[in-house]
Order: sequence, then structure tokens, then C-alpha cells
Amino acid sequence: MTSPAPASSPKPILVLDRVRKAFAGHTAVDDLSLAVPPGVIYGLLGPNGAGKTTTIRMIMDILQPDAGSVRLFGGAAGGRMHAERIGYLPEERGLYRKMRVLDVLVFLGEMKGMERRRARHRAGEWLERLGLAQWRLRRIDELSKGMQQKVQFISTILHEPALVILDEAFAGLDPVNAQVMKDTVLELRARGATILFSTHIMEQAEKLCEHVCIIARGRKLVDGPLGDIKRTRGGHHLVVGFDGSVGAAAQVFADASLVKKVDDYGQYAEVELAPGADPQRVLRDLVGSGARLARFELREPSLLKIFIDLVGPEAVQAGVRPDA
Amino acid sequence: MRKIWAIVRREFVERVRTRWFWIGALLGPVLFGAVFFLSGQLGRGGGLKRIAIVDGTTTQLGARIAEQLGRSGDWAIRVPAAVGVVDSLTAQVRAKHLDGFLIVTDAALDSGKVEYRGSNVFAGKGALQRPVGEALTVVRLQRVGVDPRLVARASIPLRLETCKISRGTTCGETAAQSFSLAYFMGIILYTAILLYGINVMSSVLEEKTTRIVEVLVSSLRPFQLLLGKVLGVGAVSIFQFLIWGVAGRLLLARRAPLAGGDGGGADELFQVPHVTGATFAVFMAYFLGGFFLYSAMFAAVGAMSSTEQEARQAQQPVAWMLVLSFISMFAMLNDPGSTLAVTLSLIPFSSPVAMPVRWAAGNLPASELALSLAILLAAIGGVTWVAARIYRVGILMTGKRPNVKELVRWIRTA
Repeated sequence: MTSPAPASSPKPILVLDRVRKAFAGHTAVDDLSLAVPPGVIYGLLGPNGAGKTTTIRMIMDILQPDAGSVRLFGGAAGGRMHAERIGYLPEERGLYRKMRVLDVLVFLGEMKGMERRRARHRAGEWLERLGLAQWRLRRIDELSKGMQQKVQFISTILHEPALVILDEAFAGLDPVNAQVMKDTVLELRARGATILFSTHIMEQAEKLCEHVCIIARGRKLVDGPLGDIKRTRGGHHLVVGFDGSVGAAAQVFADASLVKKVDDYGQYAEVELAPGADPQRVLRDLVGSGARLARFELREPSLLKIFIDLVGPEAVQAGVRPDA
Repeated sequence: MRKIWAIVRREFVERVRTRWFWIGALLGPVLFGAVFFLSGQLGRGGGLKRIAIVDGTTTQLGARIAEQLGRSGDWAIRVPAAVGVVDSLTAQVRAKHLDGFLIVTDAALDSGKVEYRGSNVFAGKGALQRPVGEALTVVRLQRVGVDPRLVARASIPLRLETCKISRGTTCGETAAQSFSLAYFMGIILYTAILLYGINVMSSVLEEKTTRIVEVLVSSLRPFQLLLGKVLGVGAVSIFQFLIWGVAGRLLLARRAPLAGGDGGGADELFQVPHVTGATFAVFMAYFLGGFFLYSAMFAAVGAMSSTEQEARQAQQPVAWMLVLSFISMFAMLNDPGSTLAVTLSLIPFSSPVAMPVRWAAGNLPASELALSLAILLAAIGGVTWVAARIYRVGILMTGKRPNVKELVRWIRTA
């Protein structure tokens, strides 16, 4: 979470440059720029109607931006040129109801440039893995909703994409499938894939994302590594608990470049950090001073709190949506 | 390219797999069989089965008429004229034991006046005019002393053989054949274009309502998707034709028993048409042209609708263009050279039905055919361009169906 972003970060896998899209009178996305580094889980966050889906549709070449550009994998072209390398799960889900499970997966695999035989093979593996093997020759409309969700999720990642884009990924998933989805996302991430997902549920984003971009009314409010955002938007409070020996903790707390204010109770201290101070240094210095620590906790504001502070009342409204 | 091919294959395989495809494949020939059968029945309906001749003649006239009628297959009994016979025969007609009766007297030889009373005087007139007239002539000639053998030779009935001079070369078809060919081509073209056009529409609508279209258009261009869809459904229709063609061949080979034994009426009206290579080419060219034109429009209708119900409403103007050209087919069959027929075979929205009908029914200048095809091609280009733009915007839209103003904006901005 607080892993430092390398100064010379690798080339971003996805870049939006001052992208703009308007529909009959209202501007859905306004002058939006962002860069997604490779190999991260990136959260595109915002209340409903913020422009998340429109942004994703522009990335996928489903919509053309009115202005600005989308660059994927370092090239100038948008999503369609790179369909082979992108897995996309739209917000509204659906499959051909009358088709057989395996046929749907093979067909959608072909749409992503897979060869038929390979698609069939991979689909079989995934169905096996998610416990749907005995359903592969059944028609989609014979499956339960949860099973259909699994099938659609398989169709998104069947071709082992380098970039997975999930629009409102967890919306409408039952708890079991949400777990499957989360596990698979983490596994893809471990294999080096980049995951971009949009959501308006901050608790989910907080648990999964390394990078976030918060937008509202089509405009970007903040973006960057989640840790940085938390630090700059609060994250100034430390709770330190000692295990017997306090060492030279008092000296560390006296360092004005690190600590603005301290509330020392002997075995327990509440620390307000100086602006720009790195809590990791406080930790190092404390350990270096010979103190034995039982507890060292960065009191960060929750992403939800940052989100509400940034977005305003809209965010609260979004947070209580029943289908969330 | 491979993706388009995958779309084509999906449309084809999924459609051919359905029960409905095979029901259609079997029902088509059954339906055509029914048309044969019915027209056979209708063709015969005009004939007279049982009539009586009230014979008040002293010459052979009554016998002669009975003989003539017997020759043409009708069944007539001769009763001598007497008081009350007309009343009792009238009662017989009312009871449907008789179709009607003729009242013949010697005066007919001079005045030519014979009276027929029956349940269906229209049919009676058609069926009796010729045999009774011929009998009168024969008896008149014999009365003035003409050799009966000479009379017999002179009264060999006319058998007019019609033969179409098509494109200045061969004479392969009779009038009945070219009529039935034109008629069937019209029906098949109309049915197939409508049926498969609507197939394209529901396919577009399915992808739109299930939102699969988002995944698809992020992998290939909307136009490629539309193209694959139209080609796939088109391939299904050609496969359907193939099945119908084979079934139709078998059916035609057995048409006589199907039409009811002697095959009289059906044979007159529906004969095995001689389908030349050129006719087949014209048929296929206009089927494909019409299918592309209409399926582009139906695809646009599907794209601008959000539910089946909406689509059913929105497709009506498109379907009506086709229905109108089908209805006018009957007028064109009567006079393939009329201004109406020529106009309809040039307008691209009606030419896919009108032109093949005219081609089959009559002598058609090649220049007209070329002009009509050129206009159709141009129209396909234009209509597809507009439809593809509506399609591109429409497939991602949800909610209210657009009005004309919004449609124009879609076309302009897409």
C-alpha cells in the first residue's frame, strides 16, 4: 500500500490525454488525463454518472472521443487494435441466451483473435476450474444468474489479456462470485497483467487498488498511487505503542522535520507528523533509537473519507445505492 | 477477416440449429404444395359436373349438344321437353343434384338462342359457350347438306399453343409456365427477403439488449459486425433455398397426383417452368440485392429499438415497402410492360420483387435490366451507408426510440 512509486516509473500501459466526450448537451468526460502503469491494479473511482463507463468505452474504441487521445501499449491506437491483449467486462452483463456455454466462450475467444481450438481448450480448463464443466453443453438460459456471471468472467480473461478492464466489476455479483472474481484478479495481477477497474464502492477499491483516479462530473479530482493520495490528503497521524523499552523515542519525537506534535503517554504516543514527513523514517528512527515497538500504526483516512471530501454529497448518495 | 468469418459462422450455425429453421424448411414445400393443390381445385371449380338438357328439338340438335358436352368431360342427361319438367329440374338444381339445365328448341338453329338456368351461370356460360356453339354449327351445316365427314373435319377444335419468345432466341416456355415461374419467383422473393431481413433485425436486437455488442464492437468495427451478420443470415437463406429447391423439384415431378388425379386445372395453370441459367442468375441477383438492401434497413430498425415490441412497430414502414411491391406483382403479371410495372422494376425498394417477375413473365430489354440493377446497387450503397451509421450509434443507445430529428443527427455525427 505504501510501496514507494519508483521515480523512473516504467512506460504506462494506458494513457488518456485530455480526453473529452459530450452527448447531446451534457459533457460526460471533460479534459481527462490519466496514465496506468503496467502491472498494477488501477481503480477508476467516481459516483454514478461521473463518466467512468464513458471513459472505459472510449478506451475500448466503442466511443470516439470528441477531443484528446487514447494510447494503449505505447501505440497511438485505441482498444480495438489491441483487442487481443485486452479483456473487457462491460457494466451491463449479458450473453447469447440460446447458445451453448462452450460455443459462447469459443465465439467470444475468436472475437479476441484466438484460434478456435485453443479457445475451446482454454474454455474447457476454466469451466473445469470454476466448477461449470458439466454445464458446457447446456444453453446459457438454463444456467443460474451466478453461473452466467462466471461464464462471462471467463469470456473476459480467456485469451490471457495483458490488460483487463472491468466496469463496475463487483456490481451484481453474489458473494461467492465476488470472491472468485477477487481471487482471479489477484492471480492475474501476480502473473503480470494490469487491471483497470471502475467502481463506486470505495471499500472494495481500498482493499484492491494500488493506483486510483477519482473522477466526478467527468473531471479528474485526484489520481496517483493510493498511498501517496492518503499521505497528501491526511495520513498525518501515527499511533505508537512501546513494549517496555522506549529507547530514545523522545529524541525522535523532538525532530521538528518529522513531528509536528506529540501526545506522549510513556508506553503509548499519538503523533501528528510534520507536513511532507515520511512515516517510514519515523519507524526507522524509532527502531534505530533502541525502542521496542508493540504497535506502529499510520492513522490514514479511509478512501471513502477522501472520496466524500473530494466529491461532496453526491458520493454519499452513490455509496448507499442498494445494488452496490 | 477471421473475426468476420467467426460472426458469419455463428449466425449460420445457431440459426440452422434451431427447430424453426427445419420447420420452415419443411413447411415451405408443404405450403407450395398447398398452393398447387388449391389452384388445381379452383381451376376445376368452374366446370359443370351434372347438367340436364331439356330437349324440345325435332332435329338432332339436342343429341349433338349432349355429345359435344360429353366430349369435353361434362356429364349431361337429355330429357324431353314436357309440361312441368322445368319446374322439377329447378327443384333438382336447388337440391344441388344438378348444376343447371339447358333449354333447347329448334328456334335456336335460326336465332342462336339457347337458355341455361343453373346455380352458377357464370361458370355455365364459360363451360357451355363453345360446345353448344359448335353443335349448333354442325347441325346447321348438315341441314344445308354439307357432307358430315367434311363437317367433322371442319370442326376440329382449335388448340392454341402459346410460346414465349424470350430474348429473341428460344421458345422454351408456354404461357402457363412463364406465369407460374413469375408467380413463384415473386412469392419466394417477397417471403425470403422479409423473413431473413427480420432475422437480421432480431439478431441486432439480441446483441443490443444483452449488451454483448459492447464486447463485440470493442473487437471489431460495427460495420464489420453488421457485414458478418448479414452474410451469415444470407447464407442461411441460401441454404433454405437449396432445401426448398430440392423439395420443389420432387414436388413438381409429382404435381399431377397432388392436384387431384387428372391434373386438369393445375396442369393448365402451373407447369414445370423451364428455369434457364439466365433466369436463375436474375433471381439470385435480385434476391441478394433485395436482401442486402432490406436487411440493412432492418438492422437499423433493430439498432434504434430497445425491445422486441418497439422493433415490431418500427419495422412496419420497411415491411410495407416490400408488401406493396408484392401486391403490385399481380398487376405486373397481367401487363409486364405497363408503366406501373416498368416504374416498380426501376425503384430499388420494389425492383427486387418486380424485376424478376417481369423477367419471367415477359420479354425484357437487357438495357432495362442493367439500369434496374445499377440503381439497386447504388441504393444498396447509399442505404447501407446510412443504416450503418444509425446502427453504430443505435446499438449503444438505451431508452427511448429516437425521433426523425435525432436519427438525422446520428447519421450526421456517427
